[in-house]
Amino acid sequence: MPSARVVKNRTEFEGKIYEELALVQGADIPAWSADAELRHVGRSRLRVDGPQRVSGRARYTTDLMLPGMLHARVVRSPHPHARVIRVDAKRALALAGVRSVVDRTSAPELFDEEVHYVGAPVAVVVGETEEIAADAAHLVEIEYESLPFVVDLEEAIADRTRVQRKESYSRGDARRGFREADIVVDARYTTSTQLHNCLEPHGAVAQWDGERLTLWESTQAMFDVRKGVAKAIRARLDDVRVICDYMGGGFGSKLGHGHYSEIAAVLAKRLGRPIRCVMDRREENLVTGNRSATVQRVRVGATKDGKLTALEHVAWSGTGTEDGWVASTTGPSNGLYEVANVRSEQFLVLTNTGPFSAFRAPGYVEGTFALESAMDELADKLALDPLALRRKNYAKLDPQSGKHYSLKRLDQCYSRGAELAGWSRRKAGGTAGRHAYLRRGMGVSTQVWGGGGGPPAYATIHLNADGTAIVRAGLQDIGSGTKTAIAQIAAEELSLPLERVRLSIGETDAPYGPASGGSMTTASLGPAVRLAAVDVRRQLLEVAAGLMEVRASEIHLTDGHAVAGRGGKKLALDEVFSKLQNYTVIGRGSRHPNPEDVRLRSFGAHFAEVEVDIRTGAVRVLKIVAVHQIGRIVNPLNAKSQVEGGVTQALGYAVSEGRVLDRLSGHVMNANLEDYKIPTVKDVPDIVVEFVPDLDRRANNLGGIGLGEPPIIPTAAAIANAVANACGARVRTLPITPARVLEALRR
Amino acid sequence: MKSFSYAKVATAEEAAGLLKQRNTRLIAGGTDLLGLMKERLIEPDRLVDVNGIAQLRGITATKENFRVGALTTLAELAAHQATPLIIKEALADAATPQLRNMATVGGNLVQRNRCWYFRSAEHRCWLKGGPRCLAVDGDNRYHAIYGEGECRQVTPSDLAPALIALDATVVMRTDEGEDSLPLAQLYVAPTARHRREHAVGDDDLILAVRIGGDALRRHATYLKFMERATWQFAVVSVAASARLVEGRAQDVRIVAGAVANIPWRVKAAEDLLAGEKIDDARALAVAERFVRDARPLRDNAYKVAVLRELVRRAVLRLKD
Ligand SMILES: Cc1cc2nc3c(=O)[nH]c(=O)nc-3n(C[C@H](O)[C@H](O)[C@H](O)COP(=O)(O)OP(=O)(O)OC[C@H]3O[C@@H](n4cnc5c(N)ncnc54)[C@H](O)[C@@H]3O)c2cc1C
Ligand code: SF4
Repeated sequence: MPSARVVKNRTEFEGKIYEELALVQGADIPAWSADAELRHVGRSRLRVDGPQRVSGRARYTTDLMLPGMLHARVVRSPHPHARVIRVDAKRALALAGVRSVVDRTSAPELFDEEVHYVGAPVAVVVGETEEIAADAAHLVEIEYESLPFVVDLEEAIADRTRVQRKESYSRGDARRGFREADIVVDARYTTSTQLHNCLEPHGAVAQWDGERLTLWESTQAMFDVRKGVAKAIRARLDDVRVICDYMGGGFGSKLGHGHYSEIAAVLAKRLGRPIRCVMDRREENLVTGNRSATVQRVRVGATKDGKLTALEHVAWSGTGTEDGWVASTTGPSNGLYEVANVRSEQFLVLTNTGPFSAFRAPGYVEGTFALESAMDELADKLALDPLALRRKNYAKLDPQSGKHYSLKRLDQCYSRGAELAGWSRRKAGGTAGRHAYLRRGMGVSTQVWGGGGGPPAYATIHLNADGTAIVRAGLQDIGSGTKTAIAQIAAEELSLPLERVRLSIGETDAPYGPASGGSMTTASLGPAVRLAAVDVRRQLLEVAAGLMEVRASEIHLTDGHAVAGRGGKKLALDEVFSKLQNYTVIGRGSRHPNPEDVRLRSFGAHFAEVEVDIRTGAVRVLKIVAVHQIGRIVNPLNAKSQVEGGVTQALGYAVSEGRVLDRLSGHVMNANLEDYKIPTVKDVPDIVVEFVPDLDRRANNLGGIGLGEPPIIPTAAAIANAVANACGARVRTLPITPARVLEALRR
Repeated sequence: MKSFSYAKVATAEEAAGLLKQRNTRLIAGGTDLLGLMKERLIEPDRLVDVNGIAQLRGITATKENFRVGALTTLAELAAHQATPLIIKEALADAATPQLRNMATVGGNLVQRNRCWYFRSAEHRCWLKGGPRCLAVDGDNRYHAIYGEGECRQVTPSDLAPALIALDATVVMRTDEGEDSLPLAQLYVAPTARHRREHAVGDDDLILAVRIGGDALRRHATYLKFMERATWQFAVVSVAASARLVEGRAQDVRIVAGAVANIPWRVKAAEDLLAGEKIDDARALAVAERFVRDARPLRDNAYKVAVLRELVRRAVLRLKD
């Protein structure tokens, strides 16, 4: 058996670098070379679970109906800040079918005395059906003492007690850099709160068997849910089993356990019945996380010929009531361009609104909008082509660490993107549309992100007597097609058809697997799966060698056959399988650490073409060209879907989405899918997707890194820049609504 | 949702009888009613389901008369070959295909407004009997740009402005039989004593909507402005119609939706077009006149610009 050792590893997760110890086994292998003849990896494959998902057979947490299960509905505060004086459950308990009403007096571990936002939990009602519980929730009478509150970000920024500095960064001397500048752009950008609105709501179902808890939960991170819930209810890790078979989206908002998980676990134990606690759409919009609204100030200084001399970026992010962490809005400014003098600061701002959470490239989406808008404003002032300005300040080395990148092909993203978008058609001042009031314009923006993944991640593969394989890993598929990618990797090394590889994932009794977040799932787990498959193959070859009477080192696997190097002896694997009777070949693999001497990052460029109606302010996005560099693409079809989804989500962020808060009552006024405007299929433009073909061979044994988040990062700035190009309206506030376009046109 | 009893009726008489009971509501497609009930904005004790009344369904069309039964769905109305073009335009972007399959003409005309304070169970605004309008000092980006009343909600229906532009009448059931009145008269700005967007009582039954022959021959068009390509109530909409006599406009109607408590007309703007040839300058003048008296709130000045442009475009389209 290969020996185990503990290694130090640096992983970039959601825009921040974490150094952690990890246990790895055996030795790693190099990535497949560019000319390796691969049968599965690098080829488009339909999703292995596609039929289940589209036919309704896939079972999500919200679908689960256990015998005897009860339903929990949370009673929530209508006040943005208040003290709970008294909870009277008499009327609720009198309703037929109500099992229990629990509040702070009966469950201090679940509820606080003070509530800090509209929607904060105050009590929970358990009923025989969801409807009964919902009806009873309205009958719970609660007396509050209202307290002062602030929901508006700008108002909160003015109140020092609500602002904390969380990150600061500098290199060189920004002040000197600005003195050296011929031209300075100094602009203020603001972005709205974006709500995840996952199709499948957040929720959990809990069932106890003695001291053992099984928790079905819609989550991106089963192991973190297990850890969090075990801690909250003081259970041992092995007494908590988390299951997530299928899930309908998370986008960062399901990276840990929720209050609903604790409610389900605690009440299931108390009442001795399984408990289901699943959010409704309104709760999704109030309490399950969001992308912070921001206020950002960006200053860029440059010489006449466009060389950046200084960059300053200060960001205030409204985190609601979350006062632990804040997303790195200034990350792109710190790391994208070659500029000697940089200074940035990141502030967290507390408001009486629902807590923020990670949301697909948290911080980088907001920050890239500001940075890449400012770059275009600078290009405008310098009368330079926006793309030329970006090229001029291209960072060959990582500006923060001074290290080389494992791969950087941003220049190719720019040139290929420009070609696909027809960038040469772009004119300063835009071009005419079909009518005098329609103007067309083009814009570009850049993305930089992590997504290299890293240990810990483990997988085992069991080869069955009939030549089918089961990959077992502590993985959940957030909906991005991870399952398919993993199956392709295993099938590749095992030389099996894809249908013969099954995945046993979606629960925490399996070997530890990473969260489906930070664009790191495939890059973390894929290499471990590959090593597990190599381990199986090695054992299989030994068996085949025995049967073929040659040495194992002399044969290899191709196309379902063991083939001897010399003499051309050939043995079908199926024959090997049939000769053996009951057996299990077990392969093991673990993820090895990332290289120390290079920085792993993904890059990409988006080009937007828009049409602006200058009389009504309406913006129509006609086309988005997205070219990314992430190294090897395991499944081009899946990768393309990933980019299309990211662009669509970014489109909403750019032009139509935004939480509306009523400043006087502190309520979210558009906590539903009618008023919170996610793009419809009619809004989605032509999306052209390409990837730079070069491999990232230093990254890991796949030769590629993650793609989950990169495609949402650059789109908003590309659209804003295209709008400015089309009609001169520089909108510095997201979303770019007709009202804002008209206002910018008037300036 | 509060529990309720439910009765399905087969005749208008039966329905009328049951609707006289206290706290009873008629349900047609249910697309608005059920939403209000789920939010507990209304809590009826009884629902009277009129979907079994065959006489309320379907379209009869002659050269001189177009009559659509109140229970006809928006999808059926949009698909019928005799339906005037302006109605088809209005329905093309009304709600979503799923909703249009359920939503009925009658329900569409008396649906409640979409003001987000009104729709929120946790806000007790003036229209719901509270002391004042919450939109005036709140977020009023979608609210009224005309009108003086306390309440600043706007008309949600796409169908109403288009029908009013064709001088449609609504046929109501009375104890004596039928009674017709101009559709426009259904809409009244709420007053302190009548906090409702229209004059239809809970026990009233709309039987049909009718358009007369003259109006059927007018040039007419409907424009709707949204912030996404579909599935949004109008931010602003404009229905315009006119008869063209030797290139000159007669019987001009310009009806704006989503800008006031009621479908909004500006007589002076219509008069500017009457008897005139339609050209760019005239269209612009009419549009300018239409918005001259608009009084936007803090967040909705953009609606004036949008309205001006929609009126201008709608008028120009009457030429074709
Ligand atoms: C998400 C969403 C989006 C929408 N978008 C749009 C849009 O873009 N444009 C638009 O125009 N509409 C839109 N609507 C509104 C929709 O068109 C209306 O809800 C629908 O037309 C109502 O018809 P219904 O048959 O479902 O009415 P119901 O919900 O059954 O009834 C609504 C009201 O009308 C009364 N009523 C119904 N029929 C009669 C009758 N014959 N006589 C007297 N009273 C009657 C009921 O008692 C009730 O008070 C949208 C609705 C939703 C939910
Ligand atoms: S506009 Fe009317 S419905 Fe809206 S808050 Fe004011 S009174 Fe209420």
